[in-house]
Amino acid sequence: MSENVLELKNITMKFGGVIALNDVNLVVKKGEILALIGPNGAGKTTVFNVITGVYKPTSGDVIFQGASIVGKKRFTITKLGIARTFQNIRLFGESTALENVVTGADVHSKTGVIGSIFGTKRSRREEKAALEKALELLGFMGLKARAGQLGKNLPYGDQRRLEIARALATNPKLLLLDEPAAGFNPAEKVALAETIRKIRDAGYTVLLIEHDMSLIMKISDRVAVLDFGTKIADGTTKEVQNDPRVIEAYLGAPADAS
Amino acid sequence: MANLKSRINLRDRGAEYWERSPKWRRVSLAVFFIALCYGLPFFNNPLINTPGSDFQSVLFYPVGMYVMMAIGLNIVVGKSGLLDLGYVAFFAIGAYTMAILGTKTSLNFWEILPIGVGLAMLSGLILGTPTLRLRGDYLAIVTLGFGEIVRIFAVNTDAIGGARGIAGIPTPPDVFKAKFTILDPKPYYWLLLTFTLLIIWMVRRMAARRPGRAWDAIRQDDDVAQLMGIDTRKYKVWAFVLGAAVAGVGGVIYASQILSIVPDQFNLNISILILACVVFGGIGNVWGVILGAVLLAFTPERIRFLSQPRILVFGIALVVMMNLRPDGILPKKKREHFDPNWHTVEESGEGEIK
Repeated sequence: MSENVLELKNITMKFGGVIALNDVNLVVKKGEILALIGPNGAGKTTVFNVITGVYKPTSGDVIFQGASIVGKKRFTITKLGIARTFQNIRLFGESTALENVVTGADVHSKTGVIGSIFGTKRSRREEKAALEKALELLGFMGLKARAGQLGKNLPYGDQRRLEIARALATNPKLLLLDEPAAGFNPAEKVALAETIRKIRDAGYTVLLIEHDMSLIMKISDRVAVLDFGTKIADGTTKEVQNDPRVIEAYLGAPADAS
Repeated sequence: MANLKSRINLRDRGAEYWERSPKWRRVSLAVFFIALCYGLPFFNNPLINTPGSDFQSVLFYPVGMYVMMAIGLNIVVGKSGLLDLGYVAFFAIGAYTMAILGTKTSLNFWEILPIGVGLAMLSGLILGTPTLRLRGDYLAIVTLGFGEIVRIFAVNTDAIGGARGIAGIPTPPDVFKAKFTILDPKPYYWLLLTFTLLIIWMVRRMAARRPGRAWDAIRQDDDVAQLMGIDTRKYKVWAFVLGAAVAGVGGVIYASQILSIVPDQFNLNISILILACVVFGGIGNVWGVILGAVLLAFTPERIRFLSQPRILVFGIALVVMMNLRPDGILPKKKREHFDPNWHTVEESGEGEIK
């Protein structure tokens, strides 16, 4: 029943002599929230970059919905159904919030440049559909009142939420969130957790990088732990919490370990 | 100072007035301005006439020609953020197509025009496909080289006249009662104006729709644009090709008016000047770019009576202007914008997601 949306198979990523990811295997099941955690520099964002085609893995394979996506163009991967947000917010700051989201929704338009010039029927229909979808998503993320504001002028939290809205607009089958709660206060974190759960319940699959343990424990179905580019644990929140290797990675080895 | 600046913020004032205006007022304003543009050759006002050169000729070249080219270059530089320093090459290709086909075949202007535009677009495609992998300064250097290559190729190829160029280019056939002759620049100006209006209409439609958003995204963050599903290569090449098409139109019309062309007319100065029009007027805003082109083309002619120091005065005016308004005269809107039509969607705090 639980079909795999994404599979990383023996992914190794080297930058010169640095091994950022070492033989990582990871499975994301349909409809789950999988949290990817690990200390700073563990390679979590590198995993995202490999999945979205920013980096081509040194070896290994990325299987998305049964087909390899290694070596595919970034925009093709997005069209296939993987969308992401960024650890350091990367909105189109000179565009309005609405334009940001419509840009994401454009993925599914087929109108080209010529069609847009002459305003073909399809062009008008797709423009309308993209706009409606964007407005719906702004509403979902509680940003409707911000629709006309420039991305760069939004408050910090709204920028993070707008990034999620923009990613959702591409209608992804897999949503990658890179530290969506970074810099949030506790109340905002609670609201965000609720939002992410709602996104999952709407049928999306979510892969999430996060540092806030309480948030992770609250919403994730499973947790995978990376340390120095190696996956050291993978399982339900309970299992991972009690895994000695995870505790070691986060807190250091016990004094009597040697 | 800031207060003063906001008070003379023409762009926002103008845009707000436009948005608040009912349709009938918009239409009548547009009709009025278009009529004004068509009627310009008949104005003989000491404020705008050009002592030392024929006003009607100045309207065609440089003013009209610069406006058209600046609008074309604005697609490349302003909309998609690609610095093109060899834009004159496409102008030259349009002009040479007109010159060669006009003198060697029996095709007339209207038949050559689509060929010239097509060749300019093709050269944009050929230049753009491999080079648009480059970004920023590197792209600028390659395009700079391309502009020079086209000119030097023309100088060194005897089959197309070499450094002497091509003479005896035919004028377009008459349209209605308008006769295209060397003595009367008015019909050429009207022809140019008609094409310019057509191009503005096309550019505005594109800018408001998917290509415009894609170009906005590419200009702001190429990597993120790709990750949001935009085929950035494709849209960059399109920007290049469309820009080239506009310059191609300009080149064909120019050659048919001037009757003889030499390669040195298509030098680097033109590329730089057109780029200056775009930057001076306001990168990315078509109205700003038009205003910039009009001012930069017209001012040196207007102050021709100063003779020798005129370029110095022009240069000083440029430096002063760019200090006062570093974003150009009418920069691209940075105003927070909300289309009134969108208010109809109810303002719920949180909706549901499908």
